[in-house]
Amino acid sequence: MTSENEKKWSSRSVGAPWQHRFFYFLIRLGGRHIAYPFLYPVVLYYLLFKPEERRKSRYYLERRFPGRQGFAALRDSFRMIMGLSRSLVDRALVGICGPEILHTEFPEGRRLAELAAADEGLIILTTHVGCWQAAMVYLSKLKRPVHMLMQQDEGDIDRHYFEHSGQENPYRTIDPTGFLGGTLEMVAALNRGEIVSIMGDRRQGAEENSLAVDFLGAPVHFPAAAWKLAAVTGAPIAILFPIKTGPDRYRIELAEVIKVPKQESRPLKRLTPYLTRYVRTLENLCTKEPYQFFNFYDMWEEQPKP
Amino acid sequence: MHETGLREQLKKIIIEELNLEDIEVLDIKDDDPLFGDEGLGLDSLDAVELVVLIQKHFAVEIKDMEEGREALASINSLADFIDNRRA
Repeated sequence: MTSENEKKWSSRSVGAPWQHRFFYFLIRLGGRHIAYPFLYPVVLYYLLFKPEERRKSRYYLERRFPGRQGFAALRDSFRMIMGLSRSLVDRALVGICGPEILHTEFPEGRRLAELAAADEGLIILTTHVGCWQAAMVYLSKLKRPVHMLMQQDEGDIDRHYFEHSGQENPYRTIDPTGFLGGTLEMVAALNRGEIVSIMGDRRQGAEENSLAVDFLGAPVHFPAAAWKLAAVTGAPIAILFPIKTGPDRYRIELAEVIKVPKQESRPLKRLTPYLTRYVRTLENLCTKEPYQFFNFYDMWEEQPKP
Repeated sequence: MHETGLREQLKKIIIEELNLEDIEVLDIKDDDPLFGDEGLGLDSLDAVELVVLIQKHFAVEIKDMEEGREALASINSLADFIDNRRA
């Protein structure tokens, strides 16, 4: 599942370490009320003087808003980069000030709790949308161990929210660069009826472990691991989107719960209809909240082989 | 079960249940690597299935990376792992 030369994206943060520390200082000083205003000059600087950073926002935005050019395109990039910057501040806020600093509503929280309690294992499919820490904080209430498939690149200076308060990681981390991409740990956890959280929108390995589905008008290779795990273990997949609804407010949307029958595990292409359901929910989200899908690499670059 | 029998059974399970095309039991050597570019060439998604198959057929669980790295190296190591767990 993991092959460094196949990976087109990086979790490495934009900005120097001192810039990140400066924002952590601002948050400690006065929370988001002080930190948010300082984001404007920083985002404008990157937008106007770092064309390579602005370019990274265009891969997705040109698909979402085809034909937009000039000032309208610049405004789109600004809104998307500002959205990401605010979500990073929010993530640090949770770590420094505690999870209660964000007002998070989860209308279908009870349904997720029932899925977690069913003893079948549960795969939570997350996406680079909003601030997923808002959702992760909620997961601690599910009374089941949560395992996160999580990779942090060397040089990634942006801290995870729990690191700010000097706490241990409250979730069990599974390293996708480990032996067989962490699949053994994931199967074992699901067999114990525990929760595994996986990002659904970024491929971390070879093409044969992905499936191509049209997303915003062109094929994209999405990772197949979560769908294979669901078919083999019988664990349902819950698609969660933590959406920012106000300066200090988030709403966690349980977009869909998908159960993959065991007989669909082979060949891999039989999983495509289930993956397509996820991609359609992501497209719907991009329609409703176009600046909350934080995609900064060309996920359409690799076309499927004819 | 006789040692050779277990190895042959493992090969049959891998070929049939992982749908390996154009591969016969005799094509798989006992010490061939199961994963990676050499040997059988299985990948991490095959591992997901293989772990569940081992559990289903032999009631033996491979719980983590350390166990898996040792057990899933080859047919020989997998057979030894199952034998040890069942002993």
